Amino acid sequence: MKNETRHAPPETSWPPAEPGKPFLTLLRFNRRYLRAYLTGAALAVVFVVISLLMPLIIRATVQGLSTGALGTDRLWEFFWVLLATSIAAGVARYFQRTLMIGASRHFEYDLRNAYFRHLQRLSASFFQRMPTGDLMARATSDMNQIRDFVGPGVMGTVDMIRLPFTLGMMFYLSVRLTLYSLLPLPALTILVYLFVRFMNRQSKIVQEIYAELSTRVQENLAGARVVKAFGIEDRETDRFREKTLEYMKANVKLAVVTSFAWPLIDMLIGVAVLMVIWQGGKLVIENHLTLGDLSAFLITMVMLAWPLIQFGWVLTLYQRGAVSMNRISAILNEVPEISDDQRTVMNARITVGRIQFEGVSFRYPSPPESAAQAALPTTHQRPWAVEEVSFEVPAGTTLAIVGPTGSGKSTLLSLLCREFEPVSGHILIDGQALEVFPLHTLRHALGCVPQDVFIFSESIRENIRLGRPAIPDGEILDAARVAGFLGDLQEMPQQLDTLLGERGVNLSGGQKQRLALARALVCNPAILLLDDTLSSVDTRTEELILRELRGYMEGRTSIIVSHRISSIRHAHKIIVLADGQIVESGNHDELVELDGLYARLHQRQLLETHLEEDS
Amino acid sequence: MSEGYHMQDELQERAYDAHLMRRLLGYIRPYRGWIILATVLLLVLSVLGNLAPVLLMHSVDAYINDATRLAAPEDMVAAAAERDLSGLYRMVLAIAAVVALQGLLRYVQVLVVSVVGQRTMFEMRLGLFDHLQHLSLGFLDRNPAGRLLSRVTNDIEKVQQTIVEGVVAVISDFMTLLVVLVVMFSINPILACVALSPVPLVVLTSVLFRKYAQHSFLEVRRKIAHINSWMQENVSGMRVVRLFNREDVNYAEYVARNADHRDEWVRQVRNFALYFPAVEFLGSLATALVILYCGMVMLKTGEATSGQGSVGTIFAFVFLAERFFGPIRALADRYNLILEAMASSERVFALQDTPPDVCNGPAPVSCARLKGAVALEHVWFAYPSAAELQGEPRWVLKNITLDIAPGERVAIVGHTGAGKSTLIHLLSRFYDIQRGHLRIDGVDVRDYDLIPMRRNIGVVLQDVFLFSGTIEENIRLGNPEISQEKVEACARHVNAARFIERLPGGYGYHVGERGCNLSTGQRQLVAFARTLAHDPRILVLDEATANIDTETENLIQDAIAKLLEGRTSIVIAHRLSTVQHADRIVVFHHGEIRESGTHQELLAHNGLYRTLYELQYKDQTGSD
Repeated sequence: MKNETRHAPPETSWPPAEPGKPFLTLLRFNRRYLRAYLTGAALAVVFVVISLLMPLIIRATVQGLSTGALGTDRLWEFFWVLLATSIAAGVARYFQRTLMIGASRHFEYDLRNAYFRHLQRLSASFFQRMPTGDLMARATSDMNQIRDFVGPGVMGTVDMIRLPFTLGMMFYLSVRLTLYSLLPLPALTILVYLFVRFMNRQSKIVQEIYAELSTRVQENLAGARVVKAFGIEDRETDRFREKTLEYMKANVKLAVVTSFAWPLIDMLIGVAVLMVIWQGGKLVIENHLTLGDLSAFLITMVMLAWPLIQFGWVLTLYQRGAVSMNRISAILNEVPEISDDQRTVMNARITVGRIQFEGVSFRYPSPPESAAQAALPTTHQRPWAVEEVSFEVPAGTTLAIVGPTGSGKSTLLSLLCREFEPVSGHILIDGQALEVFPLHTLRHALGCVPQDVFIFSESIRENIRLGRPAIPDGEILDAARVAGFLGDLQEMPQQLDTLLGERGVNLSGGQKQRLALARALVCNPAILLLDDTLSSVDTRTEELILRELRGYMEGRTSIIVSHRISSIRHAHKIIVLADGQIVESGNHDELVELDGLYARLHQRQLLETHLEEDS
Repeated sequence: MSEGYHMQDELQERAYDAHLMRRLLGYIRPYRGWIILATVLLLVLSVLGNLAPVLLMHSVDAYINDATRLAAPEDMVAAAAERDLSGLYRMVLAIAAVVALQGLLRYVQVLVVSVVGQRTMFEMRLGLFDHLQHLSLGFLDRNPAGRLLSRVTNDIEKVQQTIVEGVVAVISDFMTLLVVLVVMFSINPILACVALSPVPLVVLTSVLFRKYAQHSFLEVRRKIAHINSWMQENVSGMRVVRLFNREDVNYAEYVARNADHRDEWVRQVRNFALYFPAVEFLGSLATALVILYCGMVMLKTGEATSGQGSVGTIFAFVFLAERFFGPIRALADRYNLILEAMASSERVFALQDTPPDVCNGPAPVSCARLKGAVALEHVWFAYPSAAELQGEPRWVLKNITLDIAPGERVAIVGHTGAGKSTLIHLLSRFYDIQRGHLRIDGVDVRDYDLIPMRRNIGVVLQDVFLFSGTIEENIRLGNPEISQEKVEACARHVNAARFIERLPGGYGYHVGERGCNLSTGQRQLVAFARTLAHDPRILVLDEATANIDTETENLIQDAIAKLLEGRTSIVIAHRLSTVQHADRIVVFHHGEIRESGTHQELLAHNGLYRTLYELQYKDQTGSD
């Protein structure tokens, strides 16, 4: 792939994702940053060791001051040492933070790339069952959760290294005081556990009600016509009030408990300090402990509080991060249904463009079913979209496909482009099975104009040269002329530089179709596939475009799908599809003669044309 | 949810806006009392928070490090220790009381604020939703549902954050600062100055940090918004990307954008990594200065005086300085939070301030029961969105004049895009016409009281919309005058009862979102029952064209005939039987009325209707 385009970045291979084992996946993705994490952890140790010097200095100072055995020089010395340790601790912290949180951003970057790259590889059927909104939700909120977990979450975990050091210092200063200050701990642990459990449960309820509330608004907006027609605005507001009230009540219930979080932490620290003053003070008075020890102990204990407070928060980050990682892994683990494999011959080329369909049948995969239905055995499959279709398009000729909506016309083109794989039968180009050609080669040879045109929010130039990013403007204009788009183009405010889409000019349906046609023509494909390409263009313009196109199609194989008989009557061969099967075939005159479905369609369209022209 | 990434939603960079804040505060006015309580509690809490360090100072200086005990002769020490111990216990009890009281009050304060925040959010959300109910269809057409949804949900949620986390936290921070200052200066002004001497540096660091971080923060948001909208486009257009072998080029582009975003993040990380240790260092500086100063005083005077130079004073000032630095550090964070919420509140208010463009006039005419005479006089209409863009509106209806007598059955026929559905929308005043007059019972529709008037007009659209809820709820639509018996009678009358009664739960059967668990035909029948139950004077019906099995089709045809009985009706006809039984057929063509008359007359006329008939209705003869 690397030598195909110079734009492609060096492909990095990503480790396999394991749905259900979020931490394993995270570990694999983070392997290359392992050094950063380890260094970060080492720095955390450095930080805590330096920080623990501070209580010692203070102990010495206080001890000296309270006994009066301290000179001015000594005092200044302590002052400078205190500042120096503080700076050293800050430096360690700075590097720890930039390394670890920085690594999480690099990891996020990798994961985003892997996700996007994988989406590009997945087949059309995947996008059919996966709504864009869902995929985007994973790319946005899930990605954020994972980043928070890998960044602050991991950092918080690493900071737990401080605990043994700090505790060690406390024991060193006074075993008895340490035990006293830890006395409230078991009770607090149980309290925190209960607290977190309730919070999780209640937040889930709140989230659920919030989702219902959103659905209700959505439904109300979707049904605005009915609401207005029946004049039930007030009822809708009442129904909404019910939900909002429920939401508020659930939130208040949550607040009754969560409001306890800060006071709880305050009390946690307060009680510990209290125990130390009480017991420590007693020890000092009884001469079992120095005032310096007591001061150092108090300061060390406060240092212990932060990682402990953080712990609860880190736990939630873990939980959310794991869920989100699983959601992303599920996508990364989707196997592309269609890709180059062992059947592919890397240097296979399409030369003349002869197309054969041999007994091709295809049905679209069943949509994902609701949980209840999924439990039942799938007895009903979707009906055949195309069934036992065989035809041949000799090189350089034009085949037209007509038939009612849903008869399988577009499906035939999708199969030829290998967007889907036929359930049975074979498709051949130049006598070789479709799978022989690398996907890239195949799609390069096929110039397909899909029915629903997709315009990117870029300039017209970028939109037309989509398939050949480096071609000169001259070729773009040529293609635009053949596609009948040149006139529109010249009326645009900035011609080829005109921005399209959400932030630019909006094209009419007909303009979009002509642009899409130009987009395909510019690629100079061996085989041209038009899927009802000019349906939104009026008959007269269509006539002109078709005349231009006829020259272009000279020597190329083309397949034209159309609703309009007028646009395909000149095709070398026409096949008529109904319910996925070929019911008639021949040229225009033969088919009219036959007086079947084609003739009826023709008749109807004559009437419609009559109606159009009547105005 | 796809509209969640709209650029303008993400990218509002706003300064603090006093007007906006005043309006926001207007919402909490009804809870003045509670807010005052919370503020008083905050004040008490600030005082209590400073009490503990002072008590600590006292316990250390007076009891733990008692100079008299330390100086006492050997034999007196035990007694002195006894006295100091009981003093210490008193102090410990006092501190315990302070800690407990603090916890309790803090809890009450946080709770009050969250409840007020929740109530405010409730009212704001309800008000916005209610407002949304009265905005016209034209407005709803122009604004994607996803965007409106996020106003009612996300944005309001964020606004609540301003009130709860932002404003109250800021008040609390300022109060703490104030009280700490008072306590420090009242103990020892010089020491206070010493302890607070790093504060200008902290402020400077915070301002610098805010400047860089804020810029970086907005950049990160802007970049991620770009990535997301770009990605969304690529996912929706994946098919084209693939057909044109564009994967590599687009991937390269994605990687470039992604790297850009990452680099901005890394800058942001560095800002934070620098800021926190810097402020922490300044905190240590304050501690060191306090120790140095107190030490100097003690060395100079040769004795410890509580409040001047003593170990207890060191304790107290180190704790107090810590309490002073915290809020300053937090203010930088809160500012971002408030700005974010302000952007949200601005969007919410913009929606709230959109005036409904189709609404009652100054003196609406009430109408309990209309007779059902409809008159259109030279009506011109263009959809508002199209009209705004160009000079000359794109007329959908041109100079339509049509008189319909009470009880008359009119069928509207025409080719796609002839303006048939538009006519239906105008009658119910979903949109206002631009020229001409539309009268019901001789009164202009714009003069009627809107909601009662609409209730007189029954509208059944092609695509039946059902609410999630039971069948009964969907028929009754909350109207208390429709009894259970009536619901069932109406369902029976329009042939819906048979299938409803076979559903699990019957009329209590729960219809899924948009009626997804009913077939098209069944949804139609429920819609008929619903319309019949509300007994409108005028019936407007857009017949469904969807393929429905013959059995249901017969039921529907029969139901339509019953529904039309005794009402003025305007039907966009797709069924031969409907046109055949109409009193009059009106043929629309390109927004104009081209022909009108009965089925037989128009057929004989051999004009447009004849062509349409052959195109649309002729094939139905066999099945009819």
